Amino acid sequence: MKMLRNLLCSAALASLTATGAMADGHGWSLKKAAAPYAGTTVDVVFLLRPGYEAIEAMLPAFEEETGININIIKHPYENALGEQVRDFVAGGDLDIALIDLVWIGNFAENDWILPLADVQAKYPDAVDPKLDMDDFFPLVLNAFGGWNDTVYGLPFDNYSGLMFYNRCMLEEAGFDGPPATWQELKDVYGPALTKNGKYAFALQSKRNETQSADSFARVLWPFGGSFLDANFKSNLNSAESQAGLKFRQDLMQYMPDGIVAFDHAETVNGFSQGDIAIITEWSAFYSSVVSPDTSKVADCVEIAPEPMGPAGRKPALGGFSLAVASQADEAEQAAAYLFIQWATSKANAREYLERGGVPARQSVYEGDDLEAFKFVPALVESWQDGVPEFRPRFAEWPEITEIVQEWGTKMMLGDVTTEEGATEIGTRMESVLEEAGYYSGEKPLAQ
Amino acid sequence: MRGQVSRKTIFAFVGPAVIGLAAVGIAPLIYAVWTSLHFYNLTKLKKVKFIGFENYSTVLTDEVFWQAMGRTFFLLVTALPLQIILGMSIALVLHQPGLTLIKTLCRLSLVLPMATTYAVVGLLGQVMFNQKFGVMNQLLGGADINWIGDPENAFAMIVFWDVWQWTPFVALVLLAGLTMVPGEVEEAARLETKSKWTVLRYVQMPFLLPGLVAVLILRTADTLKLFDMVFTLTRGGPGSSTEFISLMIQRVGFRGFDQGLASAQAIILLIITIILAQIYIRVFYKEV
Repeated sequence: MKMLRNLLCSAALASLTATGAMADGHGWSLKKAAAPYAGTTVDVVFLLRPGYEAIEAMLPAFEEETGININIIKHPYENALGEQVRDFVAGGDLDIALIDLVWIGNFAENDWILPLADVQAKYPDAVDPKLDMDDFFPLVLNAFGGWNDTVYGLPFDNYSGLMFYNRCMLEEAGFDGPPATWQELKDVYGPALTKNGKYAFALQSKRNETQSADSFARVLWPFGGSFLDANFKSNLNSAESQAGLKFRQDLMQYMPDGIVAFDHAETVNGFSQGDIAIITEWSAFYSSVVSPDTSKVADCVEIAPEPMGPAGRKPALGGFSLAVASQADEAEQAAAYLFIQWATSKANAREYLERGGVPARQSVYEGDDLEAFKFVPALVESWQDGVPEFRPRFAEWPEITEIVQEWGTKMMLGDVTTEEGATEIGTRMESVLEEAGYYSGEKPLAQ
Repeated sequence: MRGQVSRKTIFAFVGPAVIGLAAVGIAPLIYAVWTSLHFYNLTKLKKVKFIGFENYSTVLTDEVFWQAMGRTFFLLVTALPLQIILGMSIALVLHQPGLTLIKTLCRLSLVLPMATTYAVVGLLGQVMFNQKFGVMNQLLGGADINWIGDPENAFAMIVFWDVWQWTPFVALVLLAGLTMVPGEVEEAARLETKSKWTVLRYVQMPFLLPGLVAVLILRTADTLKLFDMVFTLTRGGPGSSTEFISLMIQRVGFRGFDQGLASAQAIILLIITIILAQIYIRVFYKEV
């Protein structure tokens, strides 16, 4: 709570800065603010996902109004971190950092990104008086853009784990709604929906970030487990964590063979082809599963919050923020800030939503004309219930996720028991944390 | 004669090549050695420090490293004999007299798998070995084999693609060796015996050995650094079933960003490769 309070204070400070800008810059317009930076090129990494295509489609309007060129470098998610780290280490060209919520500690501690307040103080004329930081979902702003009580990035491509279900398949099997709990999914929906080459459920578990974020963490939290305890020691062998991990093993009987090779694409495709009745996936895939161009079951798709476990809903939380890179020169920093502010603005949130993005602006979800976006109620509920530390957001996560990916997959394949796997992950994870200085007191226990 | 070419001329001709080699080969190697002796993590550059042989000791005592190494050698001893047997068979068939046009077409078609980019082979594999709509299961009579998601099948799939891509290389090298056999010697041998095995063993084999040793060295080095195809096809999974040593080094160096540890792994791999090459040369290589 303290952290959230501090962050809100930080956000409020940013708002105050913005208000100051409004007072000074009466009649602020993007065009006027961007005039000194016309002709500047801003380099940014984008992912190959719907939220990025949405903003890319909106980009000509920004470039025309500002004269700022946005150079998009596209990477699949798995390459995005490495590409950016190498660019920042080498003092490369990137002017904006695209930050997954688990990367922010890394980026901030290496001073690769600038605190938002510093950017706003440095370029006061660029600050839109209508920025309205309080309009961002606090959880999302905290988790995606904040680090150590400082806001660095503005939430851009925002996800919450949702349950996508095929209403037609469920009705055919005699269900009039989705499972409310994970237990019900396994015990009731699993046997009824797994037949004739169709599966009740698929939990994407490929050995990459998908394994640690979408699979491993997804069964920890709802069952009361977590990666670490209050002393930053492994909590994976606690009764709650083990209950979650064993549940995943049991649930696998209702998933397609080779689920450990399923990434998002395979899972969403399986659902879109009508082979899988229920998936828990990021909200970002909504536009794909409801489009008749990419989904055979577009008319049957319904959305609900993720099932609850004994410890509550605790849905997966993921997403990205955009922050100004410290390596950019002054014109690039200002132009980058203008782009970030524009891309995440309240004014553009509706268009971004309509084009397939998921904005983190509360105001856009307050309207009563959202029937076309079935995911909204579940998303809003999830962002109120989410766990910011769904994956620990510290600088050591890239090393720890590799460990989780390896042993989490071994557990699923039955190469090791959940206890053995948890012990291995715990030992290796603690070794990384010790090396980082968490146990010697050199670094504060971040979360 | 020596005095006729000045040292300047020699340096002018040889120098650029030596400098180029030093720049792209030796300098990175020296840098890798330096890195391997340091704690050098790209995301913790403020903490870079000399740690002596600690990275090497970590690697040598790391069970996961040796498992990846064992997996790599298992791939080598599975795929390489298949490539040599199939390659030898193809070379012997193409060495037969007659059918010139067909043989020429065959030789040309042998180049195609080698000319295919590794990464593309991996992507092709993803589609062809897809459990549901892949052509491989269709060819097997609509079988429902889970190739990519099953550890054993995924390994078998990697062996298949490696054999598919590199058997032609072995065949062409051995075919070149067969063309080195003097026609009159081979003809005389065939008059002496009807046994094709005897001709192969005592007449052709000595001419094949240099090529065979080259194949062993190149294919061993290639297998030890096999990366692209596996990365695009299975990314080392499921689990660790196809995590070969190069994938592990890439994972440590570029996903965990521990360049020091990854450099130590790479240097150890280099030493193993050199030792193997020396063994091959001493055991197998003989001048004709």
